[in-house]
Amino acid sequence: MEMFSPDFLFRNAVVGGWIVCVLCSVLGVYVALRRMVLLGVALPQAGAAGIALVFFLTHHVHGENGGGAHWLALAGSLGVTFAALALLVVGSRGSRTPVEWKIGAALAVASAATLLIVALNPTGDLEMTSLLRGELLAISDRDLAFLAASAFGVAVLFTLFRRELLLVSFDAEFARTIGKDPARWDALLYFLLGVGISVGVMTAGPMVVFGFLVLPALAALRLTTHLFATFLVAAAIGTACSLGGFQIAYRADLPAGPVYVLLAAAVWLAASASARLRRRMALASSLLLFAFVPFLAGCGWLRSPDERASEPAPRGGLPQLASPIAVLPFKNETGASLRLASANPLDELAHAIGREGKDPTLTVLDLLEVRAAQELARRGYAVVPTESVRAAVKQAPTDAQAALAQAQAGGIAGPLMVGTLSQFTRNADDLLHVRLELALVDPGTGQTVWQGSARRPVPVPAAFTLAEIADDAAPAIFAEAFAAH
Amino acid sequence: MSELIRVERAELGYPGRLVLRDVTLAIREAEFVAVLGANGSGKTTLLRSLLGFVPPLGGRIERTPGLRVGYVPQRETLDDLYPVTARDVARMGTFGDLPFWRRVGPAERARAREALAACDATEFSRTRYAELSGGQRQRVLIARALATGPQLLLLDEPTAGVDRAAEKAILGVLARLRRERALSIWMVTHHAEAVRGAVDRVVSVDAGTAVEEPA
Repeated sequence: MEMFSPDFLFRNAVVGGWIVCVLCSVLGVYVALRRMVLLGVALPQAGAAGIALVFFLTHHVHGENGGGAHWLALAGSLGVTFAALALLVVGSRGSRTPVEWKIGAALAVASAATLLIVALNPTGDLEMTSLLRGELLAISDRDLAFLAASAFGVAVLFTLFRRELLLVSFDAEFARTIGKDPARWDALLYFLLGVGISVGVMTAGPMVVFGFLVLPALAALRLTTHLFATFLVAAAIGTACSLGGFQIAYRADLPAGPVYVLLAAAVWLAASASARLRRRMALASSLLLFAFVPFLAGCGWLRSPDERASEPAPRGGLPQLASPIAVLPFKNETGASLRLASANPLDELAHAIGREGKDPTLTVLDLLEVRAAQELARRGYAVVPTESVRAAVKQAPTDAQAALAQAQAGGIAGPLMVGTLSQFTRNADDLLHVRLELALVDPGTGQTVWQGSARRPVPVPAAFTLAEIADDAAPAIFAEAFAAH
Repeated sequence: MSELIRVERAELGYPGRLVLRDVTLAIREAEFVAVLGANGSGKTTLLRSLLGFVPPLGGRIERTPGLRVGYVPQRETLDDLYPVTARDVARMGTFGDLPFWRRVGPAERARAREALAACDATEFSRTRYAELSGGQRQRVLIARALATGPQLLLLDEPTAGVDRAAEKAILGVLARLRRERALSIWMVTHHAEAVRGAVDRVVSVDAGTAVEEPA
C-alpha cells in the first residue's frame, strides 16, 4: 500500500498507470469483439504522431514550458487521433474498401511520420521521446486530475449507453429496426475510444495503450460467458497487471510500460490455457491466475532500488581506513550548471527570471556526493553524515590542501574524499559520457592516499531528467571509480 | 384484412443500380408469406426496402403509422465472439422501449422469457449463443424479434443452412405464432418446396420484379 501514500514519489505514476490500464482494458472489450484490433494499434500510433507533430509545429524546446508541454501533447494526441478515426471508420459500414486496408495504411503512415518528425525536431527530442514512451514518472497532480476526470467521463457514458453500444456492435441492422441509429452509437463508441486512447497515449505511451486495448480483453473473453463479467474481469486484469507490473518494474529497475504489457500477455496465455480446462476447473484456475500476479508483485526475490543500494559491495581498490570518511562537495569543471529542476513550480519561475527560489538549488554534484557516501557505506566504510559535512564545508575545495584546511576549520577530523566532475553529457545514443576524478586525503599529512576515476560511458536508456540520469548511472560510475586498478 | 404495408409501383435498389422495378404488393394482417427467388434475384433488397433501410427510387411504400416490425436477420451476420446467452439476445428485443437511464426490469425480463417460450427456446435460454446449433440460434433470433412486440415479422433466410428437422421446427414455430398471435409473417427463402404447404401465398422475385402468387 506504500505505492498509494501521498509521500510516495511515484504515487501519481502508479495511479495514472492504473487508470489508463483499466480504461483501455474495458474499452478493449469492444475493440476485440468488433474485431478492430488493428484499429487499436493504429490509433495509439496516430496519437503519438500527433504529439510529435504538435511539438514540431510549435518549435517546442525541451525544458521550456514544462506544464504547457502536457497540454500541447494532449491537443496533438486528441486532434490526430480523432482525425484518424474520422478517416478510418466514419462511413465504413457498407463501404467497399475493407477498413483493414485503411487502418494498415494509417498505421504505416503514423509510425513513419512519428519517427520522421522526431528526427526533424532535435530541440524537443528528449521531452518528446519521454512523452512518446509514456512519461508515467513525470505525471503531475494536475495531469492526474485531468486523466481521472476524462476516465470518469468515459466510464459514465460507457455505462449509461451500454445497451446501445452492445446492440449496434452485435447486430446493427436489428438495432436500426428498433430505432437505435447505428451510425450515432458507433460515433459514441469511437468518441470514447478516441478520448481513452488520447489521454492514455499522453500518460503511458502507445505501447501500453495498445497492449491494454487488446490483451486484458482477450484474456477476459476466454474466462467469461457473460458480457458484464467480461468487463469486470478485463478491469481486474488491468488493475492486477498495472499495480503488479509497477511493483516489478520498481523493484527490478525496469521500464514500467513493457513490464505492464508482458504481464498482461502472461495473464492472457494463462487464461487461454485455463479455458481449455473443463468448465468446473475454470473457476479454480481463474482464481489461481489472479493470485499469481499479487504473489509475483509482493514476493521477496525482487529487490527495491533502496534495498539494492544498501547491499554490501567489494571494497575494490580503496585503502583500509579506521575513521569515518567525509565526502566533501565535488568540484564542477563541466562548464554547465547541471542544476536539477525543482519540484516547486514557483522556484522554476524564479529561476527563469534569474532569481533564487525558495528551496535550495540542487545539482548533479549534490546527488553524486550523496551516492558516493552510500557507495562507501556499501563497501564497509563509516561515513560522516552528508548533512554534517555540508554544515562544515560549503564550497568545493580547489585542491587537497584547501580541502584539509576547510575540513579542519569545520571540525572534520577523518579522511576526506574530494572529487572533480569534468564531463557529464548524455548523447543521442542514450550513453552518459562522464569523467569523475576522486581522491582520498589523509587528514594528518594532507597527502593523497588513494585516487580513482570513472571515464567509461554509462548506458542510461530509461532516464530522462538529469536527476534520473545521475541516479541510474551512479552505481556504474562508483563501481568503476572504486575498483582495484 | 387491413394492410400493414402497401408497395405501389415501386422501383427498388440503390443509387445507380435498379434491382426491382414496378413492384406492387401489400402486406396484410395475420398472413404467412414466403418471398421466393434465386440467389441475387433481389429478395434481400425487397426485404430491406420493406424495413425502410433502402428508400424506393420511384413509386411509394406506405406503412401503417406506428407499425412495429420484428426483424430476423440471417444468423451468419452475427458474430460468435460475443459472450451473450440466448436470454441476453432475446432481451435485446426490449431495448427499443427502454430509455437509457432505466435498467432491464422485471417487465422486460418477462417479455423476453415469454418470447423464448413461444419459440420453444426456454431450455437453452442460459446457453451461450455461440454454443447453440443453427436451428436453435434461429429460434432465439425469432424470440428477440418477438420481444419487440411486433405486428409484422420479417425474416431473412431463416431456414438457410439448417437440417430438415430444424427447418420443420422453425416453420412450426412461425405457423403457431401466426395462428396464436395473429402475426403477419413474411419470410425470405429459396427453399420453395419446404414452404409451399405452410404459407398462404408466395411472392416470387425474378427477372427484376416481384409478383404475388397463390401458395
